[in-house]
Amino acid sequence: MATDTDTARIEGFGEVSRVRGIVFEYLSLGASVLGIFALAVLLIYVTIDAFDLAGTSPVWLLTYFVTLVVPFLAFCLYSARDREVTRRAVTVSGGGLVAVAAVFTAIETFVGQIPRLNWQLAYLFVVVAPLTGYLVYVGARGRPGAVGFGLVGRLIGGTAIGLAFSVLFLVFDERLWFLAYTIGIVPAALVYGYGRVRDVSVASAAAIPIAVLGVLVAVLLRPVVDVYPTTVFIYLWTLAIPIAAAGALLVNGRGNRTAALVAGGVPLALAVVIGLFGRAAGLGVGGPNALLVISVAGVPTAVYLHRVFDVGEGVTGLGVPVLLVGGALVGAFVVETFGIPTPNPWVSETFLTEAPSRNARDAGLYPAIVGSVIIIAMVAVFSFVLGVATSVFLEEYTADSGVIGALTRLLQINIANLAAVPSVVYGLLGLGLFANLLGFGFGTAVTVSLTLSLLILPITIISAQEAIRSVPDDLRRGSDAMGATRWQTTKNVVLPEAFPGILTGTILALGRAIGETAPLIMVGAATTVFSAPSSLFSKFSAMPMQIYAWANFPQEEFRYGVVAAGVITLLIILIGMNGTAILLRNRAERGT
Amino acid sequence: MSNTPSSDTRSSDSLITTDVETGSNDRTAESRATAVATRDLNVYYGDEQAIDDVSMDIPENRVTALIGPSGCGKSTFLRCINRMNDMIEVCRVEGEVEFGGKNVYDADVDPVALRRRIGMVFQKPNPFPKSIRDNVAYGLKIQGFDGDVDERVEESLKGAALWDEVKDQLDSSGLDLSGGQQQRLCIARAIAPDPEVILMDEPTSALDPVAASKIEDLIDDLAEEYTVIIVTHNMQQAARISDRTAVFLTGGRLVEYDDTAKIFEDPEEQRVEDYITGKFG
Repeated sequence: MATDTDTARIEGFGEVSRVRGIVFEYLSLGASVLGIFALAVLLIYVTIDAFDLAGTSPVWLLTYFVTLVVPFLAFCLYSARDREVTRRAVTVSGGGLVAVAAVFTAIETFVGQIPRLNWQLAYLFVVVAPLTGYLVYVGARGRPGAVGFGLVGRLIGGTAIGLAFSVLFLVFDERLWFLAYTIGIVPAALVYGYGRVRDVSVASAAAIPIAVLGVLVAVLLRPVVDVYPTTVFIYLWTLAIPIAAAGALLVNGRGNRTAALVAGGVPLALAVVIGLFGRAAGLGVGGPNALLVISVAGVPTAVYLHRVFDVGEGVTGLGVPVLLVGGALVGAFVVETFGIPTPNPWVSETFLTEAPSRNARDAGLYPAIVGSVIIIAMVAVFSFVLGVATSVFLEEYTADSGVIGALTRLLQINIANLAAVPSVVYGLLGLGLFANLLGFGFGTAVTVSLTLSLLILPITIISAQEAIRSVPDDLRRGSDAMGATRWQTTKNVVLPEAFPGILTGTILALGRAIGETAPLIMVGAATTVFSAPSSLFSKFSAMPMQIYAWANFPQEEFRYGVVAAGVITLLIILIGMNGTAILLRNRAERGT
Repeated sequence: MSNTPSSDTRSSDSLITTDVETGSNDRTAESRATAVATRDLNVYYGDEQAIDDVSMDIPENRVTALIGPSGCGKSTFLRCINRMNDMIEVCRVEGEVEFGGKNVYDADVDPVALRRRIGMVFQKPNPFPKSIRDNVAYGLKIQGFDGDVDERVEESLKGAALWDEVKDQLDSSGLDLSGGQQQRLCIARAIAPDPEVILMDEPTSALDPVAASKIEDLIDDLAEEYTVIIVTHNMQQAARISDRTAVFLTGGRLVEYDDTAKIFEDPEEQRVEDYITGKFG
């Protein structure tokens, strides 16, 4: 690289030195690569520990590589239909194998032993994982890939949302929900629908007051009424049927009545049958939660299937779930038949469904997962509602000048500074305000979620303000000139346009809330709880608290295996949550 | 792109000369009721005076053009009529603007209710990021219109000479249209709630000449039903489409206000003639 800044004269034109820019570019690149590399090494080791990959026999890895990974990658290549990509993928996987094995052996021979890693694992992480990511990305651009990944996404996402719902019902009273739904929401929806169909605007306007009134009546009736249907029936009536009806309406809107009945009816019937008789028939699943999960995952899947068949392109992509499940089953069969030793991962069914234990192998994260999910749901609602309301007030309603303007600026400065206040201080505030003064109790869900909401509120407000400010003034003036009130302009023009930006800020802020420990310790959240919470005022723990507690255990199994499993679980839930929110946001961006 | 029905028989390529064909042939300003009138209107932005003692009567169902150099207060004048200046905190209005038999700056006039009777089209097309149908139905929605919305949407789009181009894509976004189509969409949006007056603030200055001429034809048709007040920088345009012309010069003074033909052929004031013929401004 030339370092002289003189311009060399070549045939008339000078040459302008770009040395500083180039140095800056490569320094930045180097720094980012270094950061990503460090994080990757950490995550690789956490994964190895959590899944006990260090003790895995290479034959086991090879079996699943052949039955699961290779067919999946082949599908991605088939979807991409790009000779160049195929050639590149084969070169990388083959050449990578040789290169990784050679480099690994060289390091082991000349430098020293690399702990808990062998060349097969190194190949898996260095070549196979990035290659899979790349091929999924390329494959999704082909029609079969898009269809296949869309289907898998709906199945997994629906299941996760269904499970989250069932977790929420652990602390929220489903009987109160039943009353509120029956007395408030159903009549309101009927009145609204009537108003829309018959073009009676009074009826549409009456829907919200009816809903509010109904919910209030339900709250009053809850202590009086003591005859309720079973939980299965409540879930069926309040969740499964409306979801199925919404799915059917969606398909019907595309103009096919029979398909609508099938798309709504089949998942509903499946959910009811398994929910009612699954246990009795010895399926291993059943009960109200099964009904909930199957309907939440099934209906969107059915609607999606209808659309895929309607469009008629990339139908082969629907084989992806079969490919994945089939690959796993074949792999299991081969492992079983040939007696290949299987690894003993820390992230297991026990870990996800059992309470913590003194014995590392029996330790579970279930109460903490439930706690985190409930806290996050409440924080999302509190901080979103408060944050959007505050930012709308600050951006659209307050004046810029005069006394009000000065007060607004003061408020603005305060909010900006609050974003920089350490989380321990928020913990102290939560302890004093919510736990002591308002008497919500130490370490209860209400106290913890209100404290975390306060903690992320400044971030939510500032990002929502940015989003609202970026809505062009032309649109506001256009709406004002039509004779819209400030509220109508905000509701109809500003908020829909700012929504994706607001959601981005909330997602980032929630990511921070889910990982917080310090304020939780301050408000007295338990590090370890042995049973899932049963009400909003019972003792709570959250995943980071539990992981932190395990990290202090003397046994090595805890510090390596169980902590790693906890971290992986936390990350997966965080990524799943963010992923869902980002998908929602992208949909909102495209939807307008 | 379909062709806009054109009832315009005047030549649109004549340049401004003293003998340019002007005004609408079949419409004269006499014997017309007044739609909007101002009395001693003064507007200040802080200490700066933007409008200086303007009194004028704007006739019903006619196109009135406001012309003048930049910064002469013609847009400010336009925004006084539907009180859009209220949004600007430093803006102060003195005097009267009469509309519908009332001074719109009276304490008991609700500016929101006022704007529902006056439509406005801006310089830059500003359709909402919603479907074409929702854009046109916007005014109906916020005003709680109880009739057949789809019918009114169709009528308004036809009124804005846009129906034939978009009737098959009413559910696609208004932002997908071309600039000229977007501006006609904004006109459709403005006329959908059936206002009495339509204010246009340089509606063609961001458009290419073909799109602009379509809008000009449209303005001519709109005057059948509405009172149109248009601010323009384009003198040919003022000459072609307006029945009355008001010339504002620097400092927010109304220098001359008369039939368009008179202004362009035989203005009273030397300054107006200089401005129109391009000697100044």
